[in-house]
Amino acid sequence: MISHRDNNTQRIAALDERAEALKLKRGMGIADARAMHPSIDVVEADAEADRRLLEGLADWCDRYTPLVAIDAEDVLFLDVTGCTHLFGGERAMQDEILTRFFQQGFDVRAGLASTPGAAWAAARFHGNRIIASGEEEALLAPLPLSALRIAPETRALLESVGLRTAGAVMAAPRAPLARRFGATLLLRLDQALGRLDEAVSPRLPVAPLSVERHLAEPVMLTDDIERLISRLAVALKTDLERRGEGARTLALLLFRVDGAVSRIAVGTSRPMREPRLIQKLFHERLTALEQNIDAGFGFDLVRLSVLSVAAFDLTQGDLTGEADDDDADIALFADRVRARLGEAAVLKPVVVESHLPERAVAIVPFAEAPQRRAPAAGRTTPPRTAPPMTIYPPERPVRMFRSPEPIEVPATEIPEGPPMNFRWRRALYRVARAEGPERIAAEWWRQLPGEEEAPTRDYYRIEDSEGRRYWLYRQGLYGSAAQAAPPRWYMHGVFA
Amino acid sequence: MAMSAVARDTVFALRRQIAKIEGTLPERLQAPAPGVPADAGKSDMTLVRRGLAVAAADAFLRTGIERLDTALGGGLPKAALSEIHGLETRDAGAVAGFALSLVSLILKERQGLPILWVGTAEIFHEAGLPYAKGLHALFGIEPEQLLFSEAPKLLDALWIAEEAARMTAFAAVILEIRGSPQRLDLTATRRLHARAQSANRSVLLLRQAGEADPTAAPVRLIVSAAAAANRETVAGPLAGSIGRPAFKVDIGKSRTALPGQFTLEWNPNEHAFAERTENSVAVVPASQRGADPAPASGAVLAFPPLAAPAPGDQPSRQQHPAHCSPRRAG
Repeated sequence: MISHRDNNTQRIAALDERAEALKLKRGMGIADARAMHPSIDVVEADAEADRRLLEGLADWCDRYTPLVAIDAEDVLFLDVTGCTHLFGGERAMQDEILTRFFQQGFDVRAGLASTPGAAWAAARFHGNRIIASGEEEALLAPLPLSALRIAPETRALLESVGLRTAGAVMAAPRAPLARRFGATLLLRLDQALGRLDEAVSPRLPVAPLSVERHLAEPVMLTDDIERLISRLAVALKTDLERRGEGARTLALLLFRVDGAVSRIAVGTSRPMREPRLIQKLFHERLTALEQNIDAGFGFDLVRLSVLSVAAFDLTQGDLTGEADDDDADIALFADRVRARLGEAAVLKPVVVESHLPERAVAIVPFAEAPQRRAPAAGRTTPPRTAPPMTIYPPERPVRMFRSPEPIEVPATEIPEGPPMNFRWRRALYRVARAEGPERIAAEWWRQLPGEEEAPTRDYYRIEDSEGRRYWLYRQGLYGSAAQAAPPRWYMHGVFA
Repeated sequence: MAMSAVARDTVFALRRQIAKIEGTLPERLQAPAPGVPADAGKSDMTLVRRGLAVAAADAFLRTGIERLDTALGGGLPKAALSEIHGLETRDAGAVAGFALSLVSLILKERQGLPILWVGTAEIFHEAGLPYAKGLHALFGIEPEQLLFSEAPKLLDALWIAEEAARMTAFAAVILEIRGSPQRLDLTATRRLHARAQSANRSVLLLRQAGEADPTAAPVRLIVSAAAAANRETVAGPLAGSIGRPAFKVDIGKSRTALPGQFTLEWNPNEHAFAERTENSVAVVPASQRGADPAPASGAVLAFPPLAAPAPGDQPSRQQHPAHCSPRRAG
């Protein structure tokens, strides 16, 4: 028996058959129930766990149709339009769903009708019926008002005026009903009867393309799954070719026999349709996830869907039949690394117009970086990153730390000058030579109004007594009126 | 004494085959054995050729320094794994700079091809990420040519590097590792080397603060920073300025070379090395600009000063006390 807290009282939220046999009811106080039967077992309700379970079931129902919606805390809508023939007709499909749920240990009522409202009512009040199109009215008429999916308050109001069945509401004149009970009642009624369309909003976006294979014998081995992927990818290729598109995101859904669903997605940097490459990507992903996927008793349905597509540019191969495309090789390489190690595994620097050194080069994931231009043979225009026409372009380090590291500077010869020695990572360095300063001010145009102005930085190139070259900066100025704290020194990079 | 020509050919053919299996060895002449008279006749072998007798001339990346190239037996092998060691993590700048200058030399032939820099998260955190703007100014490597790959674990970094090493789309692959992890053993380096060979691309293995472990790489260089020369101006060298990057390069391992030390200077304008024969740099001592700062109180624990070990020599235990040996990841 499951309890929940309602108006500061513990009440029965759900109960099993044996508790029902003891004449306990939903909504009864726990204290009363305990008084009647001291031996009952009470468990606190966990709405979050219920939700997770329902989502798991919804995932599993994906095997019947891609349009699965969660309606309330215990209702799943499956839009099976055009899917029933795959399972041998409506009756066979409903039976299969019920059987499988029963085998998993769930007590499920199902109704199948041409409108969601009628199916809902059929499931609640008839149990496992199939309502043909046009029979909704006959179905609903004798049912109580709760079959109309209306709020309990409205229902109580309707009952208080003597309208106790859905048929009575249907027979009543519409205008006074709408005026007195609101538009929702008529909306629900019309939706149930099919006079108005009701859209079932699916939980997951419907994949533009997907191929699946039902297996008589569940597969468990990763090798078998990969082989299946390549078969499915071959089928996918024809569809992609017909549409002139390539896949950008692919998802693999593995339906385990006992109802768990694993969802594995890979992204590609360029549109892809080659089965071999698709299989390679999934190979990496599966290798990385090997620990996390529990095959259990095996998977009995494998589905490969294309989640997003992009136009596929055809390139002409040369006469040897091999397109020599380095960029494509690199894109594939990056995709494989990303599939195995995550989105941030391959990075690309992008030059940004900025004075601040750490902002001037942004490190972005490969998939988001702009595509590399093909190297032109006789390029006449200077490259974009060429330093401006100055005689001495500012020197920049070879490596830069992610965040500047604070250093201790005990003394400088002159207040605004370079340090004479400094301590970095607990080691003392003696400055042999120094160049600078190069003053870099904060970018005021990026500053939010009201924000304090960031102090300027004076950068120095330093060579220590052993010949290593560093890039240090002092944040702030000595004796500045604007700031009270003394300036601090940071290590920002190392030179070659 | 007189060996039949057929037999000799067979021996040569076998040697070539062995050399091919082992890797493209540089051609090397061995001095005649003392017992063999020099006037024994030309048909008799007085010179024994080791390795591939017909090593292709373009199998080596010439550094442009005659002394270093001859010491390495022609240069750095192009299609191979090369190890570049830095003794301490703070040498990362010099090691990266030297590796990038080699890449810059490679890029002279393979213009426009991208390079991949693979590293563990640890090294990028400890030594910083390569900075694209600095790389462009010094080595002429466009930011668009650069690809970084940061792996959480060494095993992943090795996997990425292996996958990249077999591709011909990269001009070079740089793998950077800190310390001496056990996973980076002879087998791992042999795999990298074999892939580099079959793809005809170079793989540079940068090892910061690592010990001289067994490696399959034919060449290991130990790089540290050298004091830079002064800037050249019209009026002569500008005192107290910091000029072009300079590296001290020791040959730690080479199948052909005798150990030696070189001081190289990188010319960022011509993208070429120049050798500095003697230390012509008058380093301005700190005491010239004021009194000597007081010595630091207490012992420096983090980085005790290391004497440069003899090339090819493994640093002794005292030089690598346990607390300054690199942290092992994970």
